[in-house]
Amino acid sequence: MSDTSLAKPVTGPDASTWILLTPALGLVILFIVIPALLAIAGSFFTIGIGSTNWQFAGLANYTRALNDPIFWLALRNNLIMVVGSIVLQVGFGTVLAAILDRGLPRGSTLFRTIIFAPMVMSTIAVALIWLVIMDPNVGALNTLVKALGMQPPTQGWLGDPDIALWVILVIAMWQYTGFMMVLILAGLQGIPRELYEAAALDGARGLKAFRHITLPGIRNVLIVAVLITTIGGFKVFDLIFATTRGGPANATQVLGTYIYQQAFNLGNMGYANAISVVLLLIAVLLGWLQLQVSRRS
Amino acid sequence: MASLQIRNLIKDYGSFKAIRDVSLEVPSGEFVVMVGPSGCGKSTLLRSIAGLESITSGEISIDGRDISKVEPFDRGVAMVFQNYALYPHMTVRQNMGFALKIGGASKVDVEKAVQRAAGILRIENQLDKKPKSLSGGQKQRVAIGRAITRSPDVFLFDEPLSNLDAALRSQMRVELGRLHAELGATMVYVTHDQTEAMTMASRIVVLRDGIIEQVGAPLELYNFPATRFVAGFLGSPRMNFIKATVHTIDNDHLHLEAAGLAGRLRVPLLHADNALDGMQSGTDVIVGVRPEGFVDGDVEGYRDWRIEGQVAVVESLGRDTLLYLNGGGIKAFDSESHEGYLAIHRTRQLQAVHGQQLQVAIDPGAAYVFDASGKTCVFPLAPNHLLAGAA
Amino acid sequence: MGSRFRWVQVLLYGFVSLWSLFVLLPTAWMVIGAFKTKREFFLDPLGMPASFDFDAFERAWGTGVGGFLLNSMFVTALSVLVIVVVSAMAAYVLARTDNRWMRLVYLVIVAGFAVPVQAVIIPLFQMVSGAGMLNSLFAIVLPYAAYGIPFTIILFYAFFLDFPRELEEAALLDGCRPVKTFFHIVLPLMGPAVASAAIFQAVFIWNEFLLALLMLTKPAVKTLTVGILQLGGEFTSDWAAIMAGLSIAVLPILTVFILAQKYFVRSLAGLGK
Repeated sequence: MSDTSLAKPVTGPDASTWILLTPALGLVILFIVIPALLAIAGSFFTIGIGSTNWQFAGLANYTRALNDPIFWLALRNNLIMVVGSIVLQVGFGTVLAAILDRGLPRGSTLFRTIIFAPMVMSTIAVALIWLVIMDPNVGALNTLVKALGMQPPTQGWLGDPDIALWVILVIAMWQYTGFMMVLILAGLQGIPRELYEAAALDGARGLKAFRHITLPGIRNVLIVAVLITTIGGFKVFDLIFATTRGGPANATQVLGTYIYQQAFNLGNMGYANAISVVLLLIAVLLGWLQLQVSRRS
Repeated sequence: MASLQIRNLIKDYGSFKAIRDVSLEVPSGEFVVMVGPSGCGKSTLLRSIAGLESITSGEISIDGRDISKVEPFDRGVAMVFQNYALYPHMTVRQNMGFALKIGGASKVDVEKAVQRAAGILRIENQLDKKPKSLSGGQKQRVAIGRAITRSPDVFLFDEPLSNLDAALRSQMRVELGRLHAELGATMVYVTHDQTEAMTMASRIVVLRDGIIEQVGAPLELYNFPATRFVAGFLGSPRMNFIKATVHTIDNDHLHLEAAGLAGRLRVPLLHADNALDGMQSGTDVIVGVRPEGFVDGDVEGYRDWRIEGQVAVVESLGRDTLLYLNGGGIKAFDSESHEGYLAIHRTRQLQAVHGQQLQVAIDPGAAYVFDASGKTCVFPLAPNHLLAGAA
Repeated sequence: MGSRFRWVQVLLYGFVSLWSLFVLLPTAWMVIGAFKTKREFFLDPLGMPASFDFDAFERAWGTGVGGFLLNSMFVTALSVLVIVVVSAMAAYVLARTDNRWMRLVYLVIVAGFAVPVQAVIIPLFQMVSGAGMLNSLFAIVLPYAAYGIPFTIILFYAFFLDFPRELEEAALLDGCRPVKTFFHIVLPLMGPAVASAAIFQAVFIWNEFLLALLMLTKPAVKTLTVGILQLGGEFTSDWAAIMAGLSIAVLPILTVFILAQKYFVRSLAGLGK
């Protein structure tokens, strides 16, 4: 209508522009950009614990990763975390959000607050609480399982390589499903009520309305939810570090814990950098995708 | 109170030319309305005067002082925005006094100025409210009050009424007229609404594609539009435009042929001047007839220009009636209806219904003729179409 | 129709209530556990304590949890302050200036959003330790701020893009130069956006673990996340003290969240938009 979108005031940007920008830009460059570049550079070197001695190693760190079964195991475990988290967190998050959005005449704010609350708790604290709950002597879980007439795992919930990762998935679900629920709920509440009323007049109610109004309405939010969960699944560190440190026998090893182990326990900084670059590339790619999707909505 | 001069103003956005060489003289105390369609440059022009846009070249001066390089707040102008632009975190009083406070005026002076402006606008009892709790009309009053408080040399209005509903808009038009009379201030007002332009302006500036199309008093522009664009822009419903061809030209009349019209249209050449140069038999022209430029089809002497049509839409306005007529062979182009219906205004009540057959005739004495370039070549016996409409 | 509708409603309430219980029980069990005796823990893990006294909290406090709490508060408050101020300035400039350099700067900052600390922790640690910044509460604020800035700038940038330009233009005509406009007009209206960003970053910094683990190794400077990890080692089987320590770590941020959840949720919604 008017030409104001092209507007630019007479008093334009000047040197003060850069003064206002510098603190933020400086911090980001110093603590994010430069370390990222150093990680990439360092992945081509062998670096000792003292880390002053860099020896060029070419692609040796990368070929080492390709031939390292634990690296592949860690990557596989990350993928299990990703897929498992999407199914559990986004899945239940969607169901809960749909119920809170339109299903309950009252109480939805209270339920939302409760279900979301674990998200703000420290993952270390969450892990420790669950460690105590799963403790074979004083834990509530074994007592509960026995009361139901079942047998708890003999090696402990996190001591059995076959189930440890699944137990961690459940703890992650406990902490983050509320986050997904709130994210999706925001998307649901962005759908104008009139659309449902119009659809009802057109004969679409219940599942039909869900299929034709709700799903298209939260499509982008769902994609973002899946991407955030995927990124989280690759970045997972605190939860595993505080519960199993990657064990037993690497059964819960993931890229984050493996980087830590290689760098700070074994002193293989160069090799750890190579694994970091893999994680970095995955994270940046997914982050870029997330922004693309977000921008479209 | 001050005069405003704009000389050879040009404003480019890269390769896009928003304003191409505009010059305008606004005498002290005049209410100038700049009007035109979206993208014509009227807002850019206003914002250039305010200093919110830098200009590419040219000069803007107030009372002879060149202000084109001066900071916005030192120009002596105040602006009323389309969306009011009231500071949400300040009360009405603080909003109105903000400029003076920033300028370093004493509390007493600020309060005095605010009280005076509030008195003029009759919003004394709103002063302690926040903008959020005001209605649209009240917000607009506060926005105007904020401008008054500063006692600027020139008031600038950027489509200030377009966010109000129809009833409020006509009320505010009266209000603004009163305000102008009371303050006697120089005001520049931008709108895309031709009604606002016609009702409030001392002079109207019609802009199109960054160029001034015509400047003049409202009725001057209405009766003697220099171009087909101005003719079509002022007046509602729009003037009907019908394609025609010159048959012959004699001393007193232009004889035109139009598809669907039984006889030749005989347009009297009273105001034609020299505009007919180069016209000959076969030249394409456009005939313009305002909705009030029709007579009943059976009126003696007009039968040759009879249009037999079907009523498509009837709008009863009370005393008056608007008809949209499907004229068969006669089609209006560039009109409000895509179907090319003719808009016809009768100053009486008509019991017409959709689909009904109706005969009207063009009054040749109320017809404009435009050449292919859009310039007006023949003006009617102005303001005769008002009489013709009553027939 | 009516009775079917009621059954559906019961089912929905049932599901949501079950999930809420699933979330609440471990948390409640933690708080209640802080009041139990060792004996009560072993004999009846699901039971309630006989009496409510705060001995376990005192024991936990005595091993340094109080200090961890203060350290966490200090680091969180200072980091959030830096993040909000620095991001607001930068986002304002970015949203109001349109040229190639600004687009590049925005791109760098957005790219920073995608970089996880885990992936750059080795060079980051080497840099920080090389600069002698280990075991300093002031020093850890800098990387914390750096990792909070990108998302906050993205949030504020969106806020400034939505901010009515006309208000700034009106201020310009009223006599404000850009800096005055920022402080008189823009900043007073940023309240909700600042609250959203601040609470969001506060939660993340309060809970941050990896950097704190590597940078804060002396007991005197540890924050809660790192501090509570050593509780298990300090009290081999004093479960009540461990639960008390965990409660001290969790309850403050939980309280803040419940009080300010409106803003937190708004910030989250920014992720989806």
